[in-house]
Amino acid sequence: MSDFDPEQFEDKYANYFPELQRAYKSAFETMNDRYDSELVHAIDQFVLNESEPFYEGDGQFRVELPENPYDRLQGVVVAEEKFEELMDRYEDELEAELQSVFGFEA
Amino acid sequence: MSTETEDGGDELREQVGNFLRRNFPQIEMHGGSAAIQDLDRETGEVSIQLGGACSGCGISPMTIQAIKTRMVDEIPEIEKVHANTGGDTGGSEGMSGGSMSPSFPGHESSSGDADDDEGPEAPF
Repeated sequence: MSDFDPEQFEDKYANYFPELQRAYKSAFETMNDRYDSELVHAIDQFVLNESEPFYEGDGQFRVELPENPYDRLQGVVVAEEKFEELMDRYEDELEAELQSVFGFEA
Repeated sequence: MSTETEDGGDELREQVGNFLRRNFPQIEMHGGSAAIQDLDRETGEVSIQLGGACSGCGISPMTIQAIKTRMVDEIPEIEKVHANTGGDTGGSEGMSGGSMSPSFPGHESSSGDADDDEGPEAPF
């Protein structure tokens, strides 16, 4: 089980980098299997590259996205509504993977 | 534009390269690469390009954030890090030119008129 330490998470990129990578990769693979691969790739490359995960307490994580994520997309044509829906699912997936990687039950 | 000066530009470049190899061996382990595209010693800005398998492997976003955060912390001369995967998301068709912008008819931020289904590319 994980010895998750919220204070260590403040410096997450030094202390929890492998765990974070695992969570992001699992979420990516799940999304890529289930939804439009092209859009999932675009979100990965143009939106999540400016995202940051935070620990909210009580085993909850939050992934903060950059402003106007829809406007950041390149190379794909997608209606904003559809994008928002997929983005919400991606966020949920990431947050669930973070919980799982750090030993919290979703 | 050429921003390497003789007074230590190469040394700083080497420092950045060493930092990447030391802290992010995963990049090479996963078949990716990290190249220093540009380094401005005066402003302390460096641009890193992640390539190869990094594109679209699912961990590049996290890697990019980690590089940005840690390099600024650990190399005093570096003030700002630009890192990207060049938009080359190899494997997905239609994504070939990284710099290519899709043409959204009437695409203006916050105008909210892009909700007529998902086939707006056919011009009438």
